[in-house]
Amino acid sequence: MEPRKDLLDIASLTLEEIEFVLKTAGPFKELFTKSIKKVPPLRGKTVLTLFYEPSTRTRSSFEIAAKRVSADVTNFAVSSSSVVKGESILDTIDTLQAMKCDYVVVRHGAAGVPNMIAKHTKASVLNAGDGFHAHPTQALLDAFTLRETFGSLTGKKILIVGDILHSRVARSVGRICEKLGMQVGVLGPGSLIPKSRPSFMRMFHSFEDALDWKPDTVYLLRVQLERQKDQFFPSLNEYHNVYGLTDERFRRLESEGTWVMHPGPVNRGVELGDAVMNYERTLINQQVENGIAVRMAALYWLKPQTT
Amino acid sequence: MSDEALILRNGQLAQEDAPELLDTDLMIEKGRLKAVGPKLPAVEGVAEIDCTGRIFLPGLFDVHVHLREPGREDKETIATGSEAAINGGVTGIVAMPNCTPAIDSGGMVQSVLDIASREARIPVLTTGCITKGRLGQELANIGGMHARGAVMITDDGDPVGNHQILRRAMEYAREFDLIVASHCEVKELSGVGAMNEGEVSYRLGIPGIPAESEEICISRDIRLAHLTGAHVHIQHVTSGEGMRIIERFKEDGIKVTCEVSPHHLIFNETHIEDYDTHYKMNPPLRTAEDNAILLDGLKRGVFDVIATDHAPHTDFEKQLDFASAPFGITGLETALPSLYQHFIKPGHFGWDLLVKRYAAEPRRLLGLDLVEFKEDAPVNLTLFNPERETHFTEDFMRSKSRNTPFLDKQVQGHVEMVILGDQILLDRISRSS
Repeated sequence: MEPRKDLLDIASLTLEEIEFVLKTAGPFKELFTKSIKKVPPLRGKTVLTLFYEPSTRTRSSFEIAAKRVSADVTNFAVSSSSVVKGESILDTIDTLQAMKCDYVVVRHGAAGVPNMIAKHTKASVLNAGDGFHAHPTQALLDAFTLRETFGSLTGKKILIVGDILHSRVARSVGRICEKLGMQVGVLGPGSLIPKSRPSFMRMFHSFEDALDWKPDTVYLLRVQLERQKDQFFPSLNEYHNVYGLTDERFRRLESEGTWVMHPGPVNRGVELGDAVMNYERTLINQQVENGIAVRMAALYWLKPQTT
Repeated sequence: MSDEALILRNGQLAQEDAPELLDTDLMIEKGRLKAVGPKLPAVEGVAEIDCTGRIFLPGLFDVHVHLREPGREDKETIATGSEAAINGGVTGIVAMPNCTPAIDSGGMVQSVLDIASREARIPVLTTGCITKGRLGQELANIGGMHARGAVMITDDGDPVGNHQILRRAMEYAREFDLIVASHCEVKELSGVGAMNEGEVSYRLGIPGIPAESEEICISRDIRLAHLTGAHVHIQHVTSGEGMRIIERFKEDGIKVTCEVSPHHLIFNETHIEDYDTHYKMNPPLRTAEDNAILLDGLKRGVFDVIATDHAPHTDFEKQLDFASAPFGITGLETALPSLYQHFIKPGHFGWDLLVKRYAAEPRRLLGLDLVEFKEDAPVNLTLFNPERETHFTEDFMRSKSRNTPFLDKQVQGHVEMVILGDQILLDRISRSS
């Protein structure tokens, strides 16, 4: 396995690399049950989180992960408007270079910004979500969670429901599931399912048809409320009725033993109803816990060129 | 050069509608061709340049150029833009009116032409806006701009969104024989899109612009031209279907002309991999299939002219993320060598097509005198060496901006000399032999 500097997307990862991260995350997760959860591999290294988009969960997850591998963590606060004020991303990269960070965790509203930063810095860049493009650590933590739940994933079915068009989670999760041998179904409002989606995404036209396909897990995407404002669907209420996990659909899932996933945070009453949150086959909290282990593994795996 | 005579020896003349190059010498004196033909006799005291292997071309003419003056002189000026043209073998250009303020009045047209007459070494013509401020709401001072010399009207960069206003503009412009040039796009369909909508845009996570955005507007504009009897010129066609629409209406005898840019022939959406903003322009690069259809259309004569849509932007702007960076790339300096390398050298089309579409037809479109290679004709010559490479370094380029995919790349072919009238505008030819 060639050393890799950056984690920018799932598409460019080899199966061997994915397996390495998933395998490494296991022992890290076991630490969480111990009183001392910290191990030393990144001692003396600096991790900087650079979030141009607000996020509490992902940022905290990276921060905890970095601390548990003994790195020093700094949060670099940037407002998205700094670009407008005339500060380019390249200016920010110069600042980062001068600070001699070893790892940079980036989230940005525009696709490709982590790629740009990676090209211009010796530090390892971890993409924590860029525009509609990619969210590779989310995909890795979901793959880890699926492995924990199902063991081998070959031939297993995942149904991704919601805004396939704008979702970086759908892109990255769909891709990793395909790479790991799963069948991937998608369902959502016609206006949010791209015409030119990858061929491995099988499209369903109603929730009922999709459930007839007998997915092993249903992956609900978070609905961005501004999509309704932009007329991609008529109302949140209608979204829930047509594409949400209503009580009726939930009863069917429950009876068939189907698992439920969601990248969080959940819009209750939109993607799913209250009952689902207490369902024993809801993996949402496990996803959060596994996020830390997988991000520890990713930090451990990447090789910055900062020496 | 003055009044001194000069003999250019052993070149090959490229002409429209002549598939074979013509071996010839040229003798120049006082800005005119004194003699044209093979094996001209040497003349005592007249300098000679050996042009063996070089192509004699009429100076090229580009009907679609952004000069950014007034308003964004940090990107380009009339002076630097016209020098960039010379560097690419282009001896006449037409400026687009999307400056700040927009060129939407007789006074603005006059002021651009005044600056050009002082600062440019080649003819710089200008367009004027269709609507005031390019806002699409009120007709600009069309008669006034025409009186001051505007050669076309266009809101380039934007379509006129309101059909009724465009109809009125066409009816009004028709009486001045003014061409209405159209940037075709349905803004609502393009939305925040930054590249062609399709498999690549989905993979990269960049909002897409469907080809239909352009095609619907092409169709609308030609139909309004038909309704009004105006001459509509469709700018920078990118989609195969858009081209077919134009072709069909042309067959019906509607007064429509159109242009294709070198980048839409050479590049496609797959070149955007890794978010390189040097491949971001509007309308966007489409697919490899579109490249092939456009090339076929150019060969069959669907496209009247080649034009670059030379669009300079600063490094700072082009270093923004892909979605935020502005649309547009420069083209004047790279057009000829890149068209040679990609199409003429491999035999997709000949020099005759290049001369027709990038020198003769653009002048015909605007009713200008054609460049002729006969005794006593004024000199308007670009000398091209197919054997010599061009390295598009920052030092080589004379545009103020460097936003081209060819930056720091080597391309086959080199513009070695440009002569216009009694001025040698560019001279990089070796005289050692």
